[in-house]
Order: sequence, then C-alpha cells, then structure tokens
Amino acid sequence: MTFFHFFNCAALTFGPHAIYYKATPLSEYDTFNTCIKAAIVYLTTTFLKLVCLATFVQVSEHDTGFDLPQELLKGLIGFLDVAGLYYALTQVSHRSISQTHKFQAVALGWAFADAVLHRLAPLWVGAKGLEFTWEYLLQGVEANAHLVFTVSLAALGSLMWLRKNKPSALVPVIYASAAVVASMPSVVSYLRKGLAWDFEKVVSFELSASIVMAFVSWRLFSACQRPSQ
Amino acid sequence: MRGWWRQQVMGQAVVVMVVMVMSMVVADAAAVVDVYRMIQYDLRGAPMGSRRAALNHHATSGFDVAGADLSRAVVILPVLEVNISSLNEFVQNKGLLGGLLLLLPQRSHESGGGEGDDSDENVGKVLVELEQWLVHNTFQYPVYFAYEDDYVKSVLQEVSANDAAGRPATATTGGYKLVVSVSEAKKIATPTLTNIQGWLPGLRAEGDNSMLPTIAIVASYDTFGAAPALATGSDSNGSGVAMLLELARLFSRLYANPNTRGPYNLLFGLTSGGPYNYNGTQNWLRNFDQRLRESMEYALCLNSVGSSSDHMWLHVSKPPENAFIKQILSEFENVAEGLDLTVELKHKKINISNSRVAWEHEQFSRQRITAATLSQLEEASELLQQTGGIADSRRAVNETVMMRKIKLVAESLARRIYGQQGTQVEVFAAGTNLALSPAYVRSWLDLLGRTPRVAPFLGKNAPIITALHKELAQYTKDASLQHETLDSTFVFYDNTKAQLNVYQVASVTFDFIVALAVGSYLIILFVVLFITTKGVDDFLGVFRKAPSRKFKSS
Repeated sequence: MTFFHFFNCAALTFGPHAIYYKATPLSEYDTFNTCIKAAIVYLTTTFLKLVCLATFVQVSEHDTGFDLPQELLKGLIGFLDVAGLYYALTQVSHRSISQTHKFQAVALGWAFADAVLHRLAPLWVGAKGLEFTWEYLLQGVEANAHLVFTVSLAALGSLMWLRKNKPSALVPVIYASAAVVASMPSVVSYLRKGLAWDFEKVVSFELSASIVMAFVSWRLFSACQRPSQ
Repeated sequence: MRGWWRQQVMGQAVVVMVVMVMSMVVADAAAVVDVYRMIQYDLRGAPMGSRRAALNHHATSGFDVAGADLSRAVVILPVLEVNISSLNEFVQNKGLLGGLLLLLPQRSHESGGGEGDDSDENVGKVLVELEQWLVHNTFQYPVYFAYEDDYVKSVLQEVSANDAAGRPATATTGGYKLVVSVSEAKKIATPTLTNIQGWLPGLRAEGDNSMLPTIAIVASYDTFGAAPALATGSDSNGSGVAMLLELARLFSRLYANPNTRGPYNLLFGLTSGGPYNYNGTQNWLRNFDQRLRESMEYALCLNSVGSSSDHMWLHVSKPPENAFIKQILSEFENVAEGLDLTVELKHKKINISNSRVAWEHEQFSRQRITAATLSQLEEASELLQQTGGIADSRRAVNETVMMRKIKLVAESLARRIYGQQGTQVEVFAAGTNLALSPAYVRSWLDLLGRTPRVAPFLGKNAPIITALHKELAQYTKDASLQHETLDSTFVFYDNTKAQLNVYQVASVTFDFIVALAVGSYLIILFVVLFITTKGVDDFLGVFRKAPSRKFKSS
C-alpha cells in the first residue's frame, strides 16, 4: 500500500495550500495570477540564493558540527528571501486587490513553490517504496508550518513596505518580528545540526513557533488596520 | 468558462501523473542480502528442487506460529535448527508455503587445515543430510540460502519476537517483507560439459614406430549441490583436481628432459559431468581414436582424496585375481608402507543394464580399458550423493595428509613408468627440483574451494575452465577442450543467485488511519478558514446550494 502512503503524505504537504486558496476569499477575488507571479519570484530568488551559497559558502568535511561563521553566512544569504518577498509584494504589478488579500496570495504562491521544490522530489522517490518511515509525514507537517511562517512574513512585509501610516510605537516591533521570522531557517538548522535534535522535535518546534509568530503578526496587522478598511 | 477549462486541464494532468506514478516501481529497501537459490532440475522428466524463483511475502520464524498464513509467508530457518523429519512431513502433506529461507552459519574466511573442531563436523553432518533431503524432493515454492550475518540475525530475532508475542507479520499488521524480484527460471537449453585434456608424450626407442603404452590420470572437476552458486566441492572433487595438477607438474618436469622421459605416454584428463553418472567421461572416451584406446595400459581415476584419513581404497571392476590388478595394487602398497598410508582393494562388478555409474573407472571398464579409482571413500555413492555441495567446505581438506597421498601416487606411477617396481627408489625427493610443492597444491585447493562448479551453469567459457586449461597447457602438450552436451536425463533451470530486499512495512490499517487523520485535518482546516474569513452564514449557505462541489477531500 505504498502509493496510499504517498497520497497521504502528498495530501498533507500540498493540501493545505489548495484549501487555503479555496476556503478564503482569495478564490473569489481571482488572485490566482498573483500566486503564480509570487511562485516565479520565489524560483528566481532560490536560484540566486543557490548561486551565492555555491560561491561563498565552504563545504565542511564534518557534517555534524555547527560551524558558526558558515551558518551566519548562510543566514545572511537567507535574507535574500526577504528581498524576494519585497520584490514580489511591491514591484510586481498586481490587479487591484486589497492589501489583506495581496499578501496572502503572495505568501500562498511562495509557500507552494517552496513545498513543491523542496518536498515533492523526496516524497516521490521515498514515500512510494515499501519501506516505511515517519519522515515523509513529518515533512508534510513541516510544510504546513512553513506555510504559516510565510504568511506571517508576508503580512509583516506588507506592513513594512506597503502601508504608509503606521502607529510609530509599533514600527520597531514590526521590524523585530520580521527579523525573527526571517531568521527561522537558521535557527532550525542550528537545532538540527548544533544541538542534534530529532526531526520530530524540530518539526514540533517549527509548528509552535509558526503559530506564535502568526498570532503576533495577526495582532500587529489588525492594530495597523485603518478603521475604513 | 475559463474556470471549467482550467479544471479540465488540471484533471487530465492529474490522471497522467497518477498513471505515471503507478507504472514506476521504486525498490528502496532497508537492506539487501545476497541469497543463493536452490537448484531446480528435472530428473528423467520428474520435476525436482525448488520450482519458483520470485518471492514477495512477509517473514515468519517457524511453521507453528499462531495466526500466520503460511501460504503467504516466508519461513526463515537457520539450518542448524532444521528438523528434517518434521519438514519432510510438511512437504509430504503438500503443505502450502510462500517460501523458505535457509540460513547458513557465517562462513569464516580461514583456508583449510583439516583440523576443524567438533562444531564444524556437526555442521557438516547436518548440512549433508539437509542437502540430500532437499535435492531429492520437489518444492512448489522458492527456496533460498543466505549466510547468517549480523543484520539477518537481527531481523530473525525481531520476527521471532513478534511471532512469539502473537503479532505475526501479515498484510494487515505490517512487519518485515522479503522480496526477491527475478523472473521465473528458464531451462538451460544446451547444458555443456567441457572435458580438458593434456598429453605428455613418452620417449620412443630409436627405430621403434609402434605406439607407446599410455597411462591416463583422470579426475572429474565439476560439482552438484542443493545451491548451485554454493557448490564448491573442496574434497569432492577439488582434491582430485589438485592432485592431478600436481602430478602433471611433476611429470612434466621429468619429461622435459629427453634423458628422463619415460617410455609411457601420459594422458591427463579433467572431466565434467561427474555427478551425472560420469557422462562427460563417457563422451570423452567415445571420442578416443582406436589407436589411443588400444595403447591405453590403464587409467587411474582420482576421486575425493583430501580427508585426514590415511586409509585409501583402490576401487576396481576387474576381479582382484587379475594379474595386472595385483601388480598395480602391489606397486601402491609398496610405496604406501613408507608413507604411513594403507591402500586396500575393493571390487565392484559392473552391471551393464544399470545406468548408474558410481565410479569414474567404470566408464573406462565399459570401454574395455583397465581402470581403477583411488579414493578415501569406501562405499560407492548413490546418484547425486557425495557431489561436493555446500557441506563440502575447504576446511574438510587436510593438505598435509594430501601431500603424502600425492607422493604415493607419484612414486607408484614413476616406478611403473621407469620399471623400478620392487625397488625403493625415491624419485620426487624433498629438497630436489622434483620435490612436491605444498604451496602449489594449497593455492589450487583454495581456488577450487571458492569456485562453484556445477557444470550446466558453467557454460563453455567459464573462468575456471579457462584456468584449468591454461594450467594443463603449461605442463603438457596438446592441451585441448572438448565440449559435449549433457544427456537429456537431466534438465537444469537457471537463476542461481539473487538479491533479497528486506523491507519494514507498515500495515494497511496504519495507512488507513493516517489517511483518516490527514483527511480530517484538511477538512477541519477548510472549515476553520472558511468560517474565519467569510463567516458562518456563508458556510451554512454552501450546504444549501451546492453540497459537494466546494469540498476538497484528500
């Protein structure tokens, strides 16, 4: 019953993206094009990141150690993600859709492209075999956490770059939260390599962190809402 | 309109993907183990051995596990724990079984010394009995052998523990699954027997044009066992082959110089088809031309000369009162005394109407050529017995005693050739350049002990055949190969080695539970998102208007 397992894991990994699209008003406002454009921007960003990683980061012989300078460099390159989101949110022309829907659509396209790129191939090759491991189910949960992270980051990003009037007290908080979310990948990699946590622990950490950050960004977003919107 | 078209395209894309996915089978096992398949053959049309090759079943640890469905299970049995009588009962009652995996004790990599301890002997005895039983029965399911390494041991332990705890591995409960994906075995269309011969011509006196008498030294080199990929036959008949090669080496030294060349031709023959009533020898003899046949004084066949026993038997089919036989025996006895060996004569009449040929010399006798077989075995073996199977390991051969036996044969032959019967001359003395070479014998014993040599699976160009040919060519003139087809009494099927994939599978129930969990998660997610973004009224409105169109199920 291995195809069964593959379908289960695929549903867990990619299902939420489709459901997010269908269940929220995104589908009504036909924001599909925005999602596609965001996915393309993601592809370009990932490509640039790969080139930078290949050029600047050294491959260490021992996989297990957590090499701080290298990881910092990788984190820095990870910030290219933020730049990509910036580009997707601001520079790409979207049809006139409201702020709330724009960042959600961008986040959705971004997260879906990420899930497909990073998780489809291992799923295809691994989950179809007869051998059973928990890995692919955990990967699906991780994809869900990543979706939430991306939505929070996009929300904070839209607050930072698209919203002109922000209550000044909240501005540093917004930037701080954005920094926290953006550095999540480095934190996760530190947990995996430096502290050698099991995959399950890492995934549960990601899940809880994503929920916390989502809550924070939601509060920030509603606090910045103008009464007319 | 656009939405509908997009849905169509997506639907078709999904179908294509599903078809692609279904047609790709990915085998990515936790571990892969080398396994050796049991022999499959037909004897006079009757199917024998294991008749299936492909395996895809759950593993179980015994025949009496409660709740296990044996017809869909592979029983893993270490050979030392096999109870042949209960297995025999099971097979005679035509019990259904998914497959049988027999575990051989881990092979150690020491070469022979002949001083194996008692446990080795016990293992040997068990294996001999088991092989004999296996070879003479038919199994409608795949039977494989594997060596018991640490991984296999741990798998067996886990399987036994699960079985004992009442959780046998089945499709619904998960567990270990053993898969061997090979196609079914096909008949080997023309099984070839390859005889290798070498000729050392003797020195003719000047002016003498008649054919010199010939002495033939013959040994069969092929084996037969329950697992063709493991039948390396060190004693049967690797020892005979090693002895023959050493004799060839020694006499080629003597014959190299015309001053020491004897007035006898020497014909060395490595024959194939030993287990099959010496079929290859029969064909080889049929191809002798008349002159050679008439000049043949006698043939000495070597069969199983490697044990630590110092008692040898000279098996003959001519009556013991025959003067020539007496001569040969006394030659052997004279030399044997000095070497602390004993040679005893054993006479067995040939029954022409019986197709069973128990000793190689009988094939010569049927062609009216005087012959004898030198062997440590006292009794003639039955068909497919003593044919060098798994039990016949390198450690069964004692090189030290074997060197004395080689000296026995070499000196006896030399005395006959140079007319020194009755004297105590030592031709192959130690320290001379005619000395026996234990290193040479050991290296050949090691090679033969590593090389499975079941003739139908060797083909014409097997490396071992080429090696033996080259070796004889080095020491003799006119070393040649002769290819014959095995007679149709025996039909063999291929597929002797395979790879076993061991998977740890989760049960179907588990997959269902996961599907349920994922499905409910997605449904809850949908509902939550819908309600939070559009409100409860809209949600309820979905039910009133279009019941199942907006619901995405996993």
